[in-house]
Amino acid sequence: MDIGVLIQILVWGIYAGCIYILLAIGLNLIFGVMKVVNFAHGELLMLGAYAAFWIYTFSSINPYLIVPLSMLLIAILGIFIERLCFRPIMGTGKLNEIFLSLGLIYLFQNLVAFLWSTNSRYIRSPYGEVVVHIGAIKLPLDYLIIIIVTIVFLIAFQLFMKKTTTGRAMRATSQNREAAALMGINVERMDMLSFALGSALAAAAGSLWLISGQMANPYMGAIPAIKAFAVVIIGGLGSIPGAIIAGMTLGIAENVVPYFMQALVAVFGYEMSFTGWKDTIAFLILIIVLILRPTGIFGERGE
Amino acid sequence: MRKYGILVTVVIVSLLLAISLGQLAGAESEADEIKIGLVAPLTGGASTTGTDMWESAVLAADEINAAGGVNVNGVNMQITLVKGDTETSREGGVKVVTKLITEDEVDILVGGFSSGITSADQVVAAEHKVPFIITGASSPTITHRTDIDTSYFFHHCPTTDDYGESTILFVDEIVKPEIYEQFDFPADRPLRLAVLYQDSAYGVGVYDGIKKTIENYNLNMEVVAEEKFKMSETDFRTTLTVIKAAEPDVVYPAAFLNEQTLIVSQGMRDVSLNTIYLSVECNDDPDYYTGVERWGEYSIQESRFGPYAIPSGPLQDAVVKFRDDFEAKWGAPPSMMGASTYEGVYIAAEAVKDAGTRDKGAVRDALAGIEMTQMVEAMKDGVITFTPDYRESKFELYMQQLIWDETVGETRPKIVWPDSVKETDFVLPDWYEPGSAPTPEEPGFEAVFAIAGLLAVAYLVLRRQK
Repeated sequence: MDIGVLIQILVWGIYAGCIYILLAIGLNLIFGVMKVVNFAHGELLMLGAYAAFWIYTFSSINPYLIVPLSMLLIAILGIFIERLCFRPIMGTGKLNEIFLSLGLIYLFQNLVAFLWSTNSRYIRSPYGEVVVHIGAIKLPLDYLIIIIVTIVFLIAFQLFMKKTTTGRAMRATSQNREAAALMGINVERMDMLSFALGSALAAAAGSLWLISGQMANPYMGAIPAIKAFAVVIIGGLGSIPGAIIAGMTLGIAENVVPYFMQALVAVFGYEMSFTGWKDTIAFLILIIVLILRPTGIFGERGE
Repeated sequence: MRKYGILVTVVIVSLLLAISLGQLAGAESEADEIKIGLVAPLTGGASTTGTDMWESAVLAADEINAAGGVNVNGVNMQITLVKGDTETSREGGVKVVTKLITEDEVDILVGGFSSGITSADQVVAAEHKVPFIITGASSPTITHRTDIDTSYFFHHCPTTDDYGESTILFVDEIVKPEIYEQFDFPADRPLRLAVLYQDSAYGVGVYDGIKKTIENYNLNMEVVAEEKFKMSETDFRTTLTVIKAAEPDVVYPAAFLNEQTLIVSQGMRDVSLNTIYLSVECNDDPDYYTGVERWGEYSIQESRFGPYAIPSGPLQDAVVKFRDDFEAKWGAPPSMMGASTYEGVYIAAEAVKDAGTRDKGAVRDALAGIEMTQMVEAMKDGVITFTPDYRESKFELYMQQLIWDETVGETRPKIVWPDSVKETDFVLPDWYEPGSAPTPEEPGFEAVFAIAGLLAVAYLVLRRQK
């Protein structure tokens, strides 16, 4: 086993983990505050990527400066979704929420395909050819920037939730909605804000994903959304630290474990590739966590 | 009251009369049309290709209809295309082929992109004995399988065996000598080939074609890495890092357009796997050149029809006309799958004409005996015909290299093989890094990892027993 290769793969895992974390935190925040499972969360990532693409196409400014703009646009869209779709059906049953969000998936996918075709869209980072040398390892600068940007977002998010009145009100709503309302917190405003913030984080994930060389198309949100759900379940429903740890674990595991498995079977004289097992590994982790701890790593019993 | 009664009677009689006339008109128009069901992924991951297939079929149908339609036993019939969206999924394919056959009652099916999807939906067509001209599924199993009656299937696109053979022969004949000369490798050193294939009938088929060619032609090549990925994968960095560690001379991905674009760009940009990337023909598409940007420069594509390179010879004018007509109608150049689907509609029309009826059995027989002059893709002996054993048409394939074109800001393909249609010589770029056998390492970290793993399992078992 080559340590250089292992470190490089570790970086790809951390990068994937960053995208999963951004997506999963938004999902968890919405669930925590509103107790709504938004299956269309991957479509917010897709719309965030498209927003970044169109802003970049018309402005040609540095793609990293576009990320906050894309987040703002999708946050506004999130407010509309919450007000027009989820608020009217809240409390009418989980089945309604599930079918509503499934409907939103098809609506957004088809709308984007109709408006902008199904052709793939790209953004080229100005740092696309800049490589950072760390010993014998060469790492493209974009990935380091994305990892740093994610860390900044996470710190800002934690500060917002812990140090600001609004953040504390959101946490209170998440812990006990009725008690929060009795204490004078406008829980409906908290719903709206959590949806906006969750949507903005999904947009950040989509924009950063696009900048890293991925392609935007109407169906790009499906796989990351499934992974984000896995992260949320592994970390524990409603738990932000759980989503961060699970997201990073999942990102690293699905990249590194296949390499370990390859090395392991090589010890016994077999040559076998496991890189196609990424998703299997991700969901194997999910199954193991659910068996050992059904509420997830940081989930509370009875939630 | 009586007046109202008369009024109601008149209205009812008028309505019934209108409905009857409408049905009669409908029946007349249905009798004068050939219904072709176009099976393609119009939504989902392969929708770019599917849309192109549909647009090409529309162009062909419009041309045939504008020329008076198809003369079927003295009656000029118009072609009506019916959309069949597979949604890039096997379930979608089965659903839509069932609908086309049972609800739309199509006379013949054309299209079928992706071997995995087509192998699922062709079962429905086999049950109903509907002729199906398959223009986009490349696995040979489509007409070779024995679990269903395949006699109604006609394969009008090269198979994965053909891709592998042409590409590997080209590598052996042109790329390998160039590398060996430049890096002074001994002739007995095997060429180190890495294969990265989609885990589907298509990808596995290409890989089988590669292995068969190396074996059948007894080529001095070694597959040093064999990695697979699931359809619509977007993150290839880890896989490419593993491939790089195997130190290949050439990398052969068997991937669809979006996957190939990411494999090449992530390989060159993120992993610094500076090698020659080979590519299967479905990537000779305008979107590929736009998407892969400069990262695709000097990579190799197997092709039979492309939007930019035109092989010299008798087809040149026909290709230019098709390309111009398509671009005028749809605003972008056609892709390869579009070309074979365009031909597929013409083949369907010709078969109905030859059969003199829309009867499905007669059309099948007409297809089995069809002989048409090649249209926009080069065919063996210049004729579109189907082999008697597996009903496959045989194409003349060529290889092209992508060269950066400053005027358009994208790469453009130049045909480099075979000599009969060659535009320019193959170029080995100065940044190219050949592979070499990695130095064998003493087992160290792996052994520690294996022992640690076994100890962990033993600990868990013991803990559970307690």
